[in-house]
Amino acid sequence: MLVIENCRLTWPDFSADYSMRVDKGDLCAVIGPSGGGKTTLLHMIAGFETPESGTLTFEGQNLLPLEPAKRPVAIVFQDHNLFPHLTAAQNVALGLRPSLRLTDEERVLIDDMLDAVGLKGFDTRKPGEMSGGQRQRVALARALVSGRPLILLDEPFSSLDPGLRRDMIQLVGELRRKRPVTILMTIHTPEDVADLADQMVFVADGKVVASDVPSAILGGPLGAKIAAAVSNT
Amino acid sequence: MKLPHPGSLVAFVIVALVAGGFIALATVSGEGPTSLSIGPYLRRVLAFSIIQAALSTLLSLSLGAALALALARRRFPGRDLVLALLGTTMVIPTIVAVFAVFAVYGRSGWFTQALSFLGWTDSFSIFGYPGILIAHVFLNAPFVARILLDSLSLVPAEQWRLASALDFKPSHIFRHLDWPVLSAELPGLAGLVFLLCFKSFAIVLALGGGPSRSTLEVAIYEALKIDLDFGRAAWLSLIQLAICLTLTGLLNWTLTRPPTAHTIRGLIKRPDARNGSLRILDAVVLAAGSLFIAPLALSMLSGLAYISDIVDADLLRAFMTSVTIAIIAATIACISALALASSARRWRVALRSPRIAAFYDFLPNTLLAVPPFALTAGLFLIVRRFTDPSAAGLILLPLVNGLAALPFVYRSLAPRLLTAEERYGRVAASLGIAGMNKLAIMDWPLIKRPFGAAFALAMALSFGDFGIIALFGGQELVTLPYLLFERLGAYRLDEASAIGLLIVIVAFLLAHASGRLSHAGD
Repeated sequence: MLVIENCRLTWPDFSADYSMRVDKGDLCAVIGPSGGGKTTLLHMIAGFETPESGTLTFEGQNLLPLEPAKRPVAIVFQDHNLFPHLTAAQNVALGLRPSLRLTDEERVLIDDMLDAVGLKGFDTRKPGEMSGGQRQRVALARALVSGRPLILLDEPFSSLDPGLRRDMIQLVGELRRKRPVTILMTIHTPEDVADLADQMVFVADGKVVASDVPSAILGGPLGAKIAAAVSNT
Repeated sequence: MKLPHPGSLVAFVIVALVAGGFIALATVSGEGPTSLSIGPYLRRVLAFSIIQAALSTLLSLSLGAALALALARRRFPGRDLVLALLGTTMVIPTIVAVFAVFAVYGRSGWFTQALSFLGWTDSFSIFGYPGILIAHVFLNAPFVARILLDSLSLVPAEQWRLASALDFKPSHIFRHLDWPVLSAELPGLAGLVFLLCFKSFAIVLALGGGPSRSTLEVAIYEALKIDLDFGRAAWLSLIQLAICLTLTGLLNWTLTRPPTAHTIRGLIKRPDARNGSLRILDAVVLAAGSLFIAPLALSMLSGLAYISDIVDADLLRAFMTSVTIAIIAATIACISALALASSARRWRVALRSPRIAAFYDFLPNTLLAVPPFALTAGLFLIVRRFTDPSAAGLILLPLVNGLAALPFVYRSLAPRLLTAEERYGRVAASLGIAGMNKLAIMDWPLIKRPFGAAFALAMALSFGDFGIIALFGGQELVTLPYLLFERLGAYRLDEASAIGLLIVIVAFLLAHASGRLSHAGD
């Protein structure tokens, strides 16, 4: 279980105070207006932002003292996930070995993972030769190959067109079935993940305003407010 | 024990070298500064330094701005070539510019001969202000024009369409479109040109024509080389340092925008291009500019006929010495800049301490202010305890040249490192890519071209430099610029022209390679 309790962060023009829980193996969709603190929440879990107070644990392990690379966390950003001079396979390999010195078994593992995200035969392509959706598949493959149990997806498909975006969300759903991971995913379009997500949290003004199953959130009293907030972004 | 970051090591070494050099220089005379008696002399040197630099700046900026506006308004065959050539005067070594002034305005120069052909027989002396101003304006005005033209071309096309739609008169266009650009650039450029002219050495040494017309830099050189008065040199150096530090501080403040190199040529049709009086004005400006710049530039080609006469063992040795020094200097400059820039980035991004990062950013710029002679002399006093004085030149020349190139190299590498961090820093951090691995995987692919470009630029600067070689040059250590200086001193202008051409060709090739590298792949 991921447990966040009263994690406070302050900047001159913004402050946040997060408390929430995500059960192990669940997919949690994080929704809310732009500038409300969704990305900051994910960056804090990944270790790019350090809260001044509060606790952050995963499976009972305190994450706060750990460097980003030492946390049991893999992250996929909206853009610039891949190094442009490395091939797709090399970019995935970084999730296993930052030095890129691989064993034969690891090479097989990387091939399998590219296969799993639907990129069989793309191993020698460079990011410049792939579409935006294909690049995000590579980033997803890297997050999965690292074997880290907590995966953060920070608006991973926002720059894709709606059809492709739903395909990618389906892909996340399939991959979950193959490998038990806990996923937190920020998203602009809550209806896309309503069927897939186990949990949905609404973040606004730096706080987790509501946390429940998607149907309760979207159909509940917050529903109209969310629809308004989301349509504004 | 954890090793210190390479950047803090480099910063420490630079601070230690500069401070050590000054302390060695200031303490060697033992009997306090003889300088207290040099009041009138100092006043004269200071006044001359400032007046010639101010006049050079005023003339360079006026000509440069006029040329930039004329070139922005006009389209003519060969314009692209003119633009390309404008950018290259920056890399003409000062000692070659000295030769060009001799060749055109000297006793038997083209200009002087043309005057006497027209019946003007009064002797015209280039020594003093005329020669110095001609050389400074020749080197700086085209550079100013190029920078201003680049900035003028960055005015968005929409604004030009708006100007056409609103039927702006030429005066409106100048006020609303050109002037905002010029007024943003001119203070920084004025500071830079003033600093370069204030520190001018080779030009003032060769064209000053007497001790009454010395810049501080020349005065320091004379104190060291001729009078062997280290105390006075230290005193003059401190004054020079104080003035230049103030200027670089101001420059640091005004030059926050990174210089742009790209020009979108010929895309915009300016509505004021059809105005009749502006046509005449531009024609006059372009003709005057060409008449001033072209002969000086062409005089450098006159050496072509004598190239075969100068090739001998001495020349080859000088050439190899210059190349070797340039390579070592460029290596020092590039490695140091990379280490300092990565420290600056680490403090700015990972450790969130912008003030310490600003120190790393400012350190290379302070090297613009340190008088190279004082630094060299101070280090010489230290080095001579450990090694044969004749070997000191070989150690100090690449070191001081490398430090002199550091500010320029830093300026091109540091922003690229920050860009790499902005794009990939978090990915790298989450994947555990750090240290040398980070340099290899994340940074190097993004900076290898700018690194190559900076290396070539540093080599070009060092290759043509006639500065501290004036202290060490002699029987044992001869670089190409020193050879040129010797030939000029002996009035062997034919040989000088050939050596100058050789230096210019190498410097241009390096600068060209640098430009190609820095533009490729963007």
